[in-house]
Amino acid sequence: MNMKETIAQQVAEREQVLDRLRQVIVRLLHGRRQPDELDPDAALFGSGFGLDSLDAVEIVVCLETEFGLRASEQPMMRGAMRSLNKLADLVLAHGGARHERAA
Amino acid sequence: MNVPREVAAIRSSVALSRGSHVSAVRVAGPGAFEAVDSISPRELYIQDGQALHTLFLDDGGHAVADVYVCADGEDFLLLGEAREQSLLDYVRDRARQRGGTEIEDLAASHEVLSLHGPYAWELLAEVLTPEIIGLPYLGFFREGQLTCLRAGKTGEYGYDLLVARDEADAFVERIVERGAAFDLATATLEALDTCALESWFFNVRREGGADVTPVELQLQWRVSYERTYPGVSALLERRAAPTKRRIVLVAAGAPLAERDRVLCEGDAIGELLAATRSPTLENWLGIALLDASLAYPGIEGFTVARGSSAIPLRSLSAPPINNRSLYVDPQRHSYLTRDRDLFPPLGPLS
Repeated sequence: MNMKETIAQQVAEREQVLDRLRQVIVRLLHGRRQPDELDPDAALFGSGFGLDSLDAVEIVVCLETEFGLRASEQPMMRGAMRSLNKLADLVLAHGGARHERAA
Repeated sequence: MNVPREVAAIRSSVALSRGSHVSAVRVAGPGAFEAVDSISPRELYIQDGQALHTLFLDDGGHAVADVYVCADGEDFLLLGEAREQSLLDYVRDRARQRGGTEIEDLAASHEVLSLHGPYAWELLAEVLTPEIIGLPYLGFFREGQLTCLRAGKTGEYGYDLLVARDEADAFVERIVERGAAFDLATATLEALDTCALESWFFNVRREGGADVTPVELQLQWRVSYERTYPGVSALLERRAAPTKRRIVLVAAGAPLAERDRVLCEGDAIGELLAATRSPTLENWLGIALLDASLAYPGIEGFTVARGSSAIPLRSLSAPPINNRSLYVDPQRHSYLTRDRDLFPPLGPLS
């Protein structure tokens, strides 16, 4: 596999995770933004999407249900909650999008 | 000027900036809302004492000013940085005005100061009022002739202070006097710009000058596609077309420069819109405008061409800094006890 193919594979895997994360954020924003408006490096809290502490709880729950990630076991959770790409880093470091939702 | 030392103060204690890069304009009178609403790319869903962070755009959808719109009773206070045209001229030229709308430049009567750092709140609580501790992000209040907005583009606690010119020197003196206990530093614009890039804040004076819109700049949260304002038609066109380019954060171990060409296996895939040495991360950081299919973090295969050699680049998720202000809690922490408090490291790059 050459470098461009490797990169394409990395990008595809990240996009898969980002798509699922975007769906969560769209839900938290009550549809005020479309998925394509959610830039992956924009801030989730404060400025940016303007999420609040209740939304943070929802994201933590989502990480567990969607990706099997337990927030209490993540030492850098606060840093990971800063942007969609940061969340995707965390998910990808723990096996990516392979986790299937429990039935 | 010692930028690394200034940046270190912003990242670990407090720094004061007394620059002229921020303009202040007041829009008052019965038509104030209509005037600001006509140029704001975001809905003015703000109450008295709240601010909204947005951009003012030209007809091509390019950002010409990075603005905090503050709702002050029936009036609006605009605090912002602009490129080329001044904030005042933009408002005068582009805002819808009906009889009785007053647009006032506050430059003659006021100066804009700012405090940045994980303990900026503590110093300001001593100098101004303890109530500063409860001031939410993008909240502001007035105390006499002084207006204090909690904002900032360094990733740390930040406060923009609009102070009457005849009171500014005395106010700065008080900050400096009390600031000694906080190892207060003075921050130049270069240090603030370095911190902005380290914390992935848009800089209208730098990357704002490129032929890019909020779509490429990952700033869509600062605009709405369902309003009428200057530049919206161009933005809608860009959004409707497949995104060709997008910015991504990159890092390198060797010097980077604005306009450096970025390559992937020898093919040109974009260029750097901005670059700086990060004293905090001890690395070079850049904002790369890349082919959108490659503008993703976690990629190690890019290079920057430098003469006959190639500098390896890697792309990263933003922001790259684990800001101390994320962990400093005004209810529990103090600059005095900082050495006893345990905080995660600011870096290194992951």
